Amino acid sequence: MTESMDRNAIEVKLLTVLSTLLKQPFASVAGLSRQNTPAWDSLKHVEIMFALEDELGLEFSDQELAGLDDAEKIIAAIEARHAS
Amino acid sequence: MRHDIRVEGHGYRLRPIADNDAALVVELRSNPELNRYLHAGAIDIPQQIAWFHGYYERPGDFYFVIERRTDGLPEGVISIYDAENGQAEWGRWILRPESLAAVESAWLIYRTCFERLELDRICCRTVAANEKVVSFHDSCGIEARRMLPRHFELQGHWFDAVEHRVDRTAWVTLAPRLEKLARALARRSRHD
Repeated sequence: MTESMDRNAIEVKLLTVLSTLLKQPFASVAGLSRQNTPAWDSLKHVEIMFALEDELGLEFSDQELAGLDDAEKIIAAIEARHAS
Repeated sequence: MRHDIRVEGHGYRLRPIADNDAALVVELRSNPELNRYLHAGAIDIPQQIAWFHGYYERPGDFYFVIERRTDGLPEGVISIYDAENGQAEWGRWILRPESLAAVESAWLIYRTCFERLELDRICCRTVAANEKVVSFHDSCGIEARRMLPRHFELQGHWFDAVEHRVDRTAWVTLAPRLEKLARALARRSRHD
């Protein structure tokens, strides 16, 4: 990572990516998951992960790509990258 | 039917299913996370092999294992069936929960349909309540879709289906996006 980001900034980036790619507005990351968001399908998930990688200048592992299935997990993974 | 079609992708390939894949199919179809919208199938390996023997004799039915190219690890199964008069249906699509093969396996099955079997059109029918899979087909960019009321009977209950249809003209439009995503995933995947 090139610079640190606080949680709020990560949430804003994530909500922007999700709203853009899933074509619906998301105001909060609270409780937001693939489980409860029908449009967050397997194809969109790949696009979302790639978009976050581009936006944030990082690369998730394959295991993370498959397993980051809710907003909190994604934020935690990004924060971990920034902390390292 | 017995076939020898192998289709290579970027990170995955399709290969013919065989008797020694029975355990894989039973495992996938027995997973409650995956089988909610599936017809009841074989509950053990002998039953699955018996089902395979019927399948081997059935014309127009092409059952595949989706496996990683790097190490041959199977990540799921997929089929084309009822292939006749230039058209067919695809389905029996099950992937391990952690698999990233969804996009590429869909791309590969369409390639099989249009490039190897030289069909003119193919459809996929999904239980309407299976919103994630319906959304996947929509996300592929398939515009030809219709509702089929009370199409599936599963465990004694009737379910509506959503049918997505792709013909050669539509495939030309859909293919580049699916391949781009499949290639991007394969390029970064190390499977270690």
